[in-house]
Parts: sequence; C-alpha cells; structure tokens
Amino acid sequence: MARKADKARAAFWPGLIALAAATGYLIALLAVEKQTFIISLLFGGIAVVVVAAWLGLFDDVSRAFSDHEDVLGGCVILAALAVAAFFHENHFALLLIITILLYSVATLGLNVQFGYAGVLNFAGASFFGIGAYTSAVLNSHTALPHLLVLLIGGLLAALIGSLLLLPVLRTRGHYAAVVTIAFALLFKTFIEVNDVLGGPQGMQVKGMNILGWSFNDNVKIGGISFSFYMNYFVVSLLLLIAAFILVRRLERSWIGLNLDALRLDETAASCFGLNLARWKITAFLIGNFLIGLAGAMFGMVGGFVGPNNYTFADSLILVSILLLGGIGNPWGLIIATIIVVVLPEKLQTIQEYRFLLYALMVIAVLLFRPQGLVPRPVRHYFPGWRP
Amino acid sequence: MAAVTPLLEARGLSKRFGGVVALDSLDLVVASNEIIGLIGPNGSGKTTFFNVVTGIYGADAGRVTFDGADITKAPSCAVYQAGISRTFQRSRLSLPLSIFDNIMIGNYKHLNQGLWFNLVRRASFKREFEESYRSARALVEVFEPVLADRMFEPVVGLPMIDRRRIEICRALISAPKLLLLDEPSAGMTHDETKELMSDILLVRERNKNLTIIIVEHEMGVIERITDRCIVLNFGRKIAEGPYRRIASDAQVQEAYLGVA
Amino acid sequence: MDVGLVAQYVMNGLMLGMMYALVAVGFTLFFGVLDIIKFSHGDVLTVGAFTALVTFAGLNALGLKSQWVDLGTMLVVATLAMALLGMAIARYLVMPLRSAPALNTLLITLMLGTVLRESVRLFYPQGANPKPFPALLPRSSIDLGSFNLRLDNALMLAAGVLVIVGLQFLLNRTKLGLAIRAVAQDEETARTMGINFSAVVLITFAIGSGLAAFAGVMNGLYYNEINFGIGLYLGVIGFSAAIIGGLGSIYGAILGGFLFAGLQTIGTVLLPFASAYKDVFAFAVVIAIMAWRPTGLIREKISERV
Repeated sequence: MARKADKARAAFWPGLIALAAATGYLIALLAVEKQTFIISLLFGGIAVVVVAAWLGLFDDVSRAFSDHEDVLGGCVILAALAVAAFFHENHFALLLIITILLYSVATLGLNVQFGYAGVLNFAGASFFGIGAYTSAVLNSHTALPHLLVLLIGGLLAALIGSLLLLPVLRTRGHYAAVVTIAFALLFKTFIEVNDVLGGPQGMQVKGMNILGWSFNDNVKIGGISFSFYMNYFVVSLLLLIAAFILVRRLERSWIGLNLDALRLDETAASCFGLNLARWKITAFLIGNFLIGLAGAMFGMVGGFVGPNNYTFADSLILVSILLLGGIGNPWGLIIATIIVVVLPEKLQTIQEYRFLLYALMVIAVLLFRPQGLVPRPVRHYFPGWRP
Repeated sequence: MAAVTPLLEARGLSKRFGGVVALDSLDLVVASNEIIGLIGPNGSGKTTFFNVVTGIYGADAGRVTFDGADITKAPSCAVYQAGISRTFQRSRLSLPLSIFDNIMIGNYKHLNQGLWFNLVRRASFKREFEESYRSARALVEVFEPVLADRMFEPVVGLPMIDRRRIEICRALISAPKLLLLDEPSAGMTHDETKELMSDILLVRERNKNLTIIIVEHEMGVIERITDRCIVLNFGRKIAEGPYRRIASDAQVQEAYLGVA
Repeated sequence: MDVGLVAQYVMNGLMLGMMYALVAVGFTLFFGVLDIIKFSHGDVLTVGAFTALVTFAGLNALGLKSQWVDLGTMLVVATLAMALLGMAIARYLVMPLRSAPALNTLLITLMLGTVLRESVRLFYPQGANPKPFPALLPRSSIDLGSFNLRLDNALMLAAGVLVIVGLQFLLNRTKLGLAIRAVAQDEETARTMGINFSAVVLITFAIGSGLAAFAGVMNGLYYNEINFGIGLYLGVIGFSAAIIGGLGSIYGAILGGFLFAGLQTIGTVLLPFASAYKDVFAFAVVIAIMAWRPTGLIREKISERV
C-alpha cells in the first residue's frame, strides 16, 4: 500500500499558517485582562481547534512540521521573539513567557526519562528545586560565574537523581515510582527543617549577572525601554533552543532507539544487546540535568526559592504536562506547557483548583485519548529525508 | 570430513520453577553450520532452553558453552554480543516503532552507540544511518519485497505473518553465529510457512556461517530443512538424529501420543 | 534502659505497624489480582476517615451521642462507602485500561488520588487544616510498672489483628477467597474454570478499600486528628511496605508494614533532633532492601510469560 504521495515532501504553508495563528492567539490571551474576554477567547480557541481537528487540518500541520522541521523551528523562534517584543515592557507577561520556556526545558528532561526511556520520575519538581537552591546557595556564598552555576545546578540534580535511581535500576517500573514519590514528599520536609537552606521561609537568590551585565536592571536601547525580564527571556530562550535540539537529536539517533526499545520491551531489548541499567541511567541523568538546569535558571529569574514551590503536587503538574501534550513529542510538550502555565494565571478563579483540574484532565486523556494532544509520530531520523 | 566443533553445548542443564522441573539435566550439542530441529510435546522445555541460553532465566545447575566460552551466567546482552540471536514464541516487536527501527534494534552491536557520535557528529551519523537503511532493506526484500518500500511504517499495522518476518529480520541483521527460532511459523498457512523456510534457507546460503536451532510443531518443516533433530520430553533429551530416524522412534511416539 | 520507655516505643511501633500493614495488604491485594498498582489507595483511606468524621457530625446532629454506637456506625458507613468507591474505581477507571500499558493504570490511579485529596482539601470546610477526630474509645489506662498501657490503643491493636486474621480466613478458607487466589495466580485459567473475573476484581477492590477505611478510622482515633494529606503519606509507606514484603504476598505486606514501623522507631531513637529524619532513615533502608532483594523479602509473584 505504498502511497506515492508520501514520496513528495509535504506542503510548508499549513505549518506556517498554524504557527502564525497560534502566535497571534497567545499574544491576545496574554494581553487581555478582563475575565469575560479571556473566557470567550478560550471558548473561541477550543471551537477553532475542534473544527480544525474535524476537518483533518492537524494532519497537514503535523506533516509540515515533520518534513520542514528545521525551517519551521526557526519560525517558532521568530514567533517567540515577536511575542516577547510585543510585551517588551510588561513584567508580568514576560515572566509568564519565561516560565513557559523554563518549564518546557524541565518537561523536555522529564520526557527523556518518562517518554523515551520509560523511567518513572515523580519528583520532577524536587529536582527543579535542587537546581533552584543551588543557584540560591552558590550565588550568595560564592563568586562563581552564573552560567557555571546553571551547569552545576543541572549536574547536582543529575547526581542526586542517579543516587536515587541506582538501587532500583534492576527492578520493575513501580519501584522507581515509589522511590521518586517518597523522595518528592521527603524533599520538601527536608528543606523545611533545614535552616541552612532558609527553612520554611526559603532563600533569596541573587539575580543573574554575566560579565558585569546585571540582569535585574531595566534596559534602554535606542530610546525603547525594556523590562529587565528581557535579559532573562533571552537566556531562557537560548536554553530552550539548546535543550530542544539536544532532545530532538537524542530521539533521532540510535540512542533514542535504544530508549524506545527499553521502554517498550525490556526483555527483548536485552536479548539484543541493550544493557538496561546503562541506558536507563543515561536517560535519567540527561533528563535530570535539564530539569536542574531549568530550575537553577528559574531560581535566578524569580529571585526567591522556598519549599512550597517544589512539592509532590508540583511534580504531578509536570507529569500532567507530559501526558496532556503527548508523551514523547517535544512540540506537544511545549503546547501543553503553555496551556498549563497560562490558564491558571489568566483565569484567577481556577488558580486554587489547578491541581484538581489538571488531575481530572489527565484522567480524561488517559481514558479517551491516551496518546495526548499531539501524538508522537514514527521516528524520522532526518526530517524530509527520502531513501 | 572436517572435525565437528561444537558451537553450542549444554551439560547437565537444569531449571525449575517452584515445583515444576522445566529442564532436567539436559545434555545437548550443536555443531557449526547445522540446522537443528528442537521438538517435543508442549511443556517439554524447548522455550525454557532458549530462555536459559539467552540469559533470561538463570540455570539452577549445569553449564552452557558457546564457541568455547562459558555463557551459563552471562546476562542476555552479553549472550547477544557473543553472537546468539533469537525470535520469540509470542511475537515481541515494538509495535509503535517502524519496520526499520525494529530491525535496527537487532543491530545494536554494529551501530555506534556513543553519545558524542549520535548527538554531535550528525554527518557521520547520517552516513551510518543510510548504510543501515540499505542493509535492513536488503534483508527485508528477501522475505517480503512489498515491505521494503514501507520501511518507515509502524509495525502495529502489519498482519501477523509480516510481523514474524520482521522479527526474523531483526534476529538476522546482526549476522549472528547462532539463530534461535521459536515457532516461527505459528499462525501461518502451509504456503506461507514454505515460503518463510525457503527465505531462511536463502539467507543461510548467503551466510555460510549461520547455525540455526528451530523449535517447530510442523513436522513437514522439520523434515524439510533440518539436518538433525533433538527431541525433548519433560526437560530431558529423549532422542536425537535425522528426522526420518527419530520419527519412527518408539520413545518419541510415546512422548507425543501417549503409550503407542 | 527504662523498660517502660522501651515498652512505649514498642507499643507505638506496633500501632504504626498495624496501620501500615492494613494499607500494604490493600496494595498487595490489588497487585495480586490485577497486576496493577493502585496509587489512589492511600487517598481512599483519607476519604474514608473524612467520611467517618462526617458520619460523626451527622450522628451528633441527630442527637445520638453514645460512644459505641457512634463508633460502630462510623466504621460501618466508612467501610461500606469506601467499598463502593473502590468498586467504582475498578469498574470505571481500572478495568477499561486493562489493555493499555500498565503505566497508564499507575498514572490514572495516581491522578485519581490527587483528585480525591484535592477534593477533600477544597470542598471539605477548611479542608486544608487538620481536623480533630473524636476520641470514642475508652480513655482509661492500666499501669504496668513504668509503662502506661492505654486501653484504646490495646483495643485498636486487637481490632487490627482481628481484621487481618479475618482477612486471612476469608482468603484461605472461603470459596470467595479461593476465587480471589485463583484469579491472582492465573487469570485465564481462573476464567476457564468458570470464575467470574469481573466480579472477583470488584469484590477484591471493595475489600481492599474497606480495609483502607478501617485503617483511616484507626488513624483518626490514634492521633485524634486527620488531615487531607495523611493518605498520601500512608500510601507511600504502605506501598513501600508491600514492595519489600513482596508484592502479591499478604504475609509479606504485613511483615513489610511492621518492618517499616520498626525502622521509623529506630530512626526516632537514633536521630532525635528532627522527626523528618526518621522518615528519611526508614526510606533509605527500604531503598537498600529493594536494591538487595528486588522481588521482596517474600517473593513477588512472577507474572510475565516469556
């Protein structure tokens, strides 16, 4: 049943149009303040999505992204810059955008562990917190360059994660589950009783400072003033781009294949040479590194860390993003991150209920659409490549 | 005639599961380049034997040597590296993955698994990818040319017989020294089975270094392609020899049919 | 070494161990019958405890203030309500996901646990704060040397033992128990033998959830208060206990429960400066045990056919 149409490269335009529409929508959603407008925007958005899905338009979009990922990826970066430019003086909107960028990095890390290797990690927020506390401690007590601090945050999260995981590598998945859940619960209590780390009140984090350029001062370039958050935005965007490329290449390589094999059938995978422990640890380390890195950055952005931000419930939010977006698909991840981060901020009424709502949403997804919003397509090692 | 060097040898191999004795002090020798039929009634230990050899289960007693090396305690990944490859009784493919991906899983030892190579040296990786594509495709063409044009289709949509073919390709892609086939023709019609066996023989033609142990219930297959048979019952070897001879062996008949 | 103090520690350990064992048994039952991890088990315990509390309030409003009637009614209502909840969970969330990867069931029950927990926190009046639980057991105590044996603790311990013994009896001496054990061993064969698989699963979930309710009430009586997060905490402990005991083994679950309580007690003695550390200690040992004996101290059932 070889379809000749598959031989030709898919059209580029559906991807570009969808991207432009999505960008405009996001700007509108972030800009609007009145609750009634926001709700109507949301309903409008849902209606458009449902109709588009029904018309099969999403297939065209995903094919466009599949074949022209490099170019469309560049367009996405431009879109992100456009959104930031629109809100160049708006502290709140920029902070939200930065949160989206950094949470995306963290969930990309979680995706490597969960989505590719199938290693359960219910302590994502704790490792994020490890990164954040690393920033707090190192910025206050040492003069280490802040970019190095980011790396150390990632490495520390990776190291502690491996200590946690090593004992349960040879066991079934639910062992990793209980170990990470226990860690997630204990991490918060551990931080709280430790006055060295600020105890329940938390710690201040000194803002980022690269080569003398302080990130916490508003910037003025050629008459246009920018919120100081623009500094952080640029670095966060770079981090996301790097993380995205890393994770993409990881997936589209023999290593990505190993992780999939290991997730789908451990017994068969080891019969074909896979050292399960080695690859599980590799995935877990890489994933945790990204999570810690994002956390370290986030600590500096927010200027403050406290045990209440890194609870088990927060870890479950990260897992929800993964499941909503479509396990294994980085694009779906980013879309889901936007939804999960933006909605409670814009709909203030649902803030309190967000854990409940997201849990319900995930249950619905698992029952009715387990592949998530954007299912993961078959591996194409080089987009657009034809034999 | 050249001296027969044993490729795979099991001595006193035993395995029990709770109260059930699956392998009972099994002695077995397979020489290079043979095609051996491993037969016996259900529960006689054939699949357990494969599982113990490939390191899925640990033996309770006895030894397994392969190509001179003791692999009794070797983990599955080491057994593969030594040159033993297998298929499974119930098909174990990674369904969401493509045909190409599934076959490449079997090619682990020939692929560069370094992080730097895979993440940074993309041009070199692309070359290895394209080369791998060509070999995988060539192998698939032997078994089912139609599939060769659909290498990036997910396996989940394929009919059972194609999945079995892909599984065999996965086992063959690494050019193993020993291939263990566990009921490869299960669920196939006579014609499909004949075709499959011809294809396997064709591969063996091209690769003289391949030894095969095949577990089968279809005696026609056994008769046609095997050099010699080993018959198991209750985890022990009860007969050995060319098919014609063991088919008329009284003990064998009793094992399959009850008292003759 | 003050014997009385030791006895106090031992008593505490036994009480905790009993509660953990009850939760662990639930986990092991679910795993045994369906090969699944039902992460919402702990939160069912919370809902059970709160149901009992609501029942108490209701009884008070009706003017019924007799200790034993109140307690009895609370137990019955909570246990039945949780049994029904357990069956609903099985029917609508777990059974439909049978053909999906096991991970999905784990995730869906984890999320359900969150729903239950958050619902209590959000919808019960002042749910985020701990709630006092009525002390309905006799408050007298007996002095044995320097050790003060509280009657209510002794009663709860005895009740717990009875429940576990009752469960063992059910599993080993009744037809229903036989059906449950058959399904746990081999679903296909059990079905061909005429056992109604769905019914057995639902009943097992009902039993497990009822146990959770009992443990929840016990927890409330012991600490004289409950809070919305208690189930999550107990659930993680109960699950770890079930794992180190060997998933699928009732004895293992009980053993694991008491073992964990013992570890916590040792941790309290060794590290008196912060109670959080006792948990770190206990979990660290548990992780070490998991690494040493992955299939549990008594073996986890092997469920995969290669």
